[in-house]
Amino acid sequence: MTATSARPADLRAERMAARIRGVQDFVRRFARRRDGLVGVAILVVFGALALAPSLFVGPLQTATTASGTSLQAPGLSHLFGTDELGRDLLNLTVHGTRISMTIGFLATLVTILIGATIGIVAGYLGGTTDTVLMRITDFFLVLPTFVLALILAPIVLDLVGADAEIAGFRATLFVIVLVIGVTSWASTARIIRAQALSVKERAFVARARVIGAGGGHIMLRHILPNVLNLIVANVVLTFAGAILTETVLAFVGLGDPLDPSWGQILNAAEGAGAPGLGAWWYILPPAGSVVLVVLAFTLVGTALDDVLNPRLRTRR
Amino acid sequence: MSGRYLLRKGAQALLTIAFILLLNFLLFRMMPGSPDRVLARNMPAAAHQQLQERWGLNKPLIPDQLVAYVTATVQGDLGDSYKFRGQSVVDVLSQRIWPTVLLFGTGELIAVLVGLSLGAYSGWKRGGPVDYVGNGISLILYSMPYFVIGMILLIVFSAGLGLFPTSGMYTIAATYHSPLDQLLDLASHFALPLTTVAIGLIGEYSILMRSSIIETLGEDYITTARAKGLPDGAVLRDHALPNALLPAVTLVAINLGYVIAGAITVEVVFGWPGIGTLTVDALNARDYPILQGIFLLLSVSVVLANFVADLVYGALDPRVRT
Repeated sequence: MTATSARPADLRAERMAARIRGVQDFVRRFARRRDGLVGVAILVVFGALALAPSLFVGPLQTATTASGTSLQAPGLSHLFGTDELGRDLLNLTVHGTRISMTIGFLATLVTILIGATIGIVAGYLGGTTDTVLMRITDFFLVLPTFVLALILAPIVLDLVGADAEIAGFRATLFVIVLVIGVTSWASTARIIRAQALSVKERAFVARARVIGAGGGHIMLRHILPNVLNLIVANVVLTFAGAILTETVLAFVGLGDPLDPSWGQILNAAEGAGAPGLGAWWYILPPAGSVVLVVLAFTLVGTALDDVLNPRLRTRR
Repeated sequence: MSGRYLLRKGAQALLTIAFILLLNFLLFRMMPGSPDRVLARNMPAAAHQQLQERWGLNKPLIPDQLVAYVTATVQGDLGDSYKFRGQSVVDVLSQRIWPTVLLFGTGELIAVLVGLSLGAYSGWKRGGPVDYVGNGISLILYSMPYFVIGMILLIVFSAGLGLFPTSGMYTIAATYHSPLDQLLDLASHFALPLTTVAIGLIGEYSILMRSSIIETLGEDYITTARAKGLPDGAVLRDHALPNALLPAVTLVAINLGYVIAGAITVEVVFGWPGIGTLTVDALNARDYPILQGIFLLLSVSVVLANFVADLVYGALDPRVRT
């Protein structure tokens, strides 16, 4: 994508300046949205925790390295209390951040990649390709995709084997990522296709075709940049959805106890009977983290929508 | 409603169900640990071949096996459960479906009534205190998995205040003196799961209804109604509400798929003996026939709900009847 043809240098500089102006304008408008900024602040905190959990709370505690006794209420030695194995819940939750955010991030990538590809291809090519792709998309839109994820996950898990390890993460993580991605791309594809349909009728696409540009080139260099704002807005909502889906999948027992996400901690809490025992500190940290992060994404999402979508700016 | 509209929507629903059957067939042929493969390891090749012939597994996947699968499914034969030995999938599902229908039917009803009114009111009084607080709470509820709501209710009302039992549908091994006693026992077990479902859905529906009514209030006919000098109540009741309700009700039907995800987890938290707990039990036991049956049941229900929503929409809104 970086190789540009021999274009006059001043034209390129001008385009660059226009792009920078656009970004500055965007930042200025976004900065005026207080809810969006709150969302960004929350995400920055959790992002930092996700990047280097050990820096904040030390390595992940296991049954053998647990630092407390069983189900201690929050106190000075354990600010968030301990679980039934005596593991510190602050430690678990912060390490859970890494897993949950990683799954959310990767699943979003997969979702957007599938959704954007199908949307752009269907919108640009039209005809039979469009009809077939949109039939499949509609099918996935109607289907209760969570239930599909629920049966797909154990099948793929059994096929792969849960003990494999890739890039420091256990295989379960990638299976969950794949399953979430494969089941939640449909609405993205629909939105992107609608935009691609209108972009391909614009004059610059016709011009590109006249000078002999191929379909792949047009889709990548002309359609994609013009649906990018939709993709950005979609990333935010997809991320929130992916984190929620992962939480529920892990809660019903499809997570990996050795790579505990927030949902996995909640699954353990349920297994230990924490709600019935009144062990609120076992549930509050992971559940609160899920709510905060999803809420932050929703706030950023609505703010972005307002900033990126001029039609909405007068409303609300 | 024109016959063509009905026919088109009906054909779409049927096609979707056909897709679901195909997916269900292919998915579970992919699965590991099928009885056939397990047997292959423990028996001589000749005997294994004989078995394959009897089960029709030596025939090609498509069309022979697919046809056999579809025929059996249409006749209501979903196979036998692994975990619940000697019971067919249909038997197990039909035992478990009523608690779920009771829980989610009632919850859905309460949530539609309360959620839609709440959303309509806060959209109407946009920026007012009810809107501000209501929208904030709805947003938080929207970000919260249902089972977390359930866990919080359990901690406060069962573990903390001791008002309600923590699990199940009836007290285990209880003897009842009268049907009323039994009903009261059911009610005390029912209260918290029902509240959980209702709270979870109210947040969702009030957000839907709020944005729908705000959208409607921007329409020209509302301005016209106001210009005619109609009182506020009449504008809301006769002009805004009927038009805002339509998309909201449809969205409720479309959202059914997401509700199901919540259903599964709420039942797990409260040990409610419905489809949700069955799903998790089947997952842990890798009871694939049951999972296959649940997938079929839930996805076909969602398709049918969407179909009904389409029909209702078509009957109420003349613009879509094409």
